[in-house]
Amino acid sequence: MDVSQQVIDRYQNIRRKRRIRVTIALVLFVVVMSLFFQALVRVGFSVGELIRYGPQFLDALDQYFPQTTVYGIPFLDVWQYWDFIDERNLFSQAGITLAMGFAGTILGFPLALLFGVLGSGRVTPFPFNFIFRGVMSTIRAIPALVWALIYVPLGGVSPFTATMAIATDTIGNLGRLYTDELEEVEDGPIEAIETTGANRLQVISFGMLSQVHTPFIAWTLYIFEINVRIAVTLGIIGGGGLGQVLSTQQRLFQFTNMMATILVILTLIISVEIFSQRVRSYIRADEEPMGILELLKGFPQRMAESLGK
Amino acid sequence: MTYISVENLSKRFGDTQALEDVSFEIPEGEFVVVLGASGSGKSTLLRCMNGLTKPTAGTITIGETEISEPHPDIAMIFQQHNIIGQMSAYANALTGSLQRTSFLRSVFQLNDTDEKYRALDALETVGLLDEARQRARQMSGGQQQRVGIARALVQEPNTLLADEPVASLDPGSSQQVMGYLLAAAQERNLTTVVSLHQVNLARQFGQRFIGLKDGQKVFDGYAEDFSLEVVDKIYDTVDVDRLTADEDDFADASDATDASSTADSTDEVMG
Ligand SMILES: Nc1ncnc2c1ncn2[C@@H]1O[C@H](COP(=O)(O)OP(=O)(O)OP(=O)(O)O)[C@@H](O)[C@H]1O
Ligand SMILES: [Mg+2]
Repeated sequence: MDVSQQVIDRYQNIRRKRRIRVTIALVLFVVVMSLFFQALVRVGFSVGELIRYGPQFLDALDQYFPQTTVYGIPFLDVWQYWDFIDERNLFSQAGITLAMGFAGTILGFPLALLFGVLGSGRVTPFPFNFIFRGVMSTIRAIPALVWALIYVPLGGVSPFTATMAIATDTIGNLGRLYTDELEEVEDGPIEAIETTGANRLQVISFGMLSQVHTPFIAWTLYIFEINVRIAVTLGIIGGGGLGQVLSTQQRLFQFTNMMATILVILTLIISVEIFSQRVRSYIRADEEPMGILELLKGFPQRMAESLGK
Repeated sequence: MTYISVENLSKRFGDTQALEDVSFEIPEGEFVVVLGASGSGKSTLLRCMNGLTKPTAGTITIGETEISEPHPDIAMIFQQHNIIGQMSAYANALTGSLQRTSFLRSVFQLNDTDEKYRALDALETVGLLDEARQRARQMSGGQQQRVGIARALVQEPNTLLADEPVASLDPGSSQQVMGYLLAAAQERNLTTVVSLHQVNLARQFGQRFIGLKDGQKVFDGYAEDFSLEVVDKIYDTVDVDRLTADEDDFADASDATDASSTADSTDEVMG
């Protein structure tokens, strides 16, 4: 084809650039794949094992979901779950897990508030607020599971040390959320409180904290949700509650009991989430909707009123 | 007797000369209106007067005190009212008493009964006694501004500074809020400096006027000297025809509001 030299140059240029891009992509692909392969070797992954133990897993599945027949139709035998839940009183175990998450949240709260507030650049002047931010980052860098191990000298892994670990974790996570939230406060109300002649602590609590107390409550509830989940995990390494039941049954190869425990864990976590989300949307709503308590308390009066008409 | 004395006040923000060599004296109990176009330095002047902004040069003396930081005897009312939306009108008014209340008592709202009465009394002064328990965030702009005034009154100041207290309100609420402000200042014999950008309101409520233009004081005088020429000087580009038209409107408006808000509020205060 008859085209100008510029067109040919441009074409060559595009082709060269494209070839370079394709080469780079190919090299990257090969690198990622070889890393992936090495990772598989490291973790001892083998398709042979999958095939060899496949039937065993299917067997276990049968135990995870035990079956019964009603008039010849196969059904999931929920009574087996219920027997275990009832026998081991799993709801009371759920209470221990919930208590760990709850107590850990409350125990961690004061220091989270203190560090969170002191970590804000508006409260502590610039380089010094990073001392508190640094402490919180360090705490966050260590997972709760590791904190539980660190607290082992306090009496082994127990619900008590697990709660301590959750409290420590809360300082890092909740404190950080508080600090971030405080960056959003408006200057106006702070200045206004300053002009009343209030002291520093009063300026912080009335000018700043009063602006963010709703989000603070919401964040605390959010961390509470997470803490209940952590409480399950800590149970698995011996911290009591549902997690511990789960790991015991796993070691006994009682897969039906394991699944029963998992169902209770699901119920607990979902209930906590629903509760926390309800409360959060309630406090965030501008006009407060009527709560269940007000509904019940106000009922006799409203009843009487409607009867009187 | 001179109460507020501003001497050779200048303030520079980087390249902007916000105030340039401004001086004036205000005797005790006067109600002074500061006028000026946007950017003329009204806010800067008021913020310097209560120590929120440090002047580049010059001094401000209020009573016996040379101002360098916020002082309990000087209360400030803000254009954006800056009250705390999460708290009730009553709790907001009560924050005016913070400097007389210890930290723990203030946090748990264990202020002296006298302070609590003072807060309710101030809310009554601004006509919000019935709304005392209402959350500030849910109130109208005018009501929020009146909560800001109540907070300032609870502070028991000698001096009241207000930076465009009605700039974000509709004309009716502006009349009302200015009425409450004037009544409170008279009742408590407060020396008051209010910045405004509505000439009509300034004329209606002001006793003395200070005009700022590009950071300089271009007028300082009492009602009888505050003529249209002066207004023209302060606001370069004012259209005199439009202004006179406004004046007519304003005469009607003031008839109506005199009867409703201003007179009412004064009655309330006295009664
Ligand atoms: N914090 C600041 N930093 C930099 N410049 C500022 C600051 N505050 C005010 N200025 C400048 O100083 C000048 C005076 O501002 P000021 O807010 O005092 O005017 P104003 O008369 O209150 O105006 P308005 O009627 O719009 O509120 C303006 O040019 C403004 O941009
Ligand atoms: Mg201003």
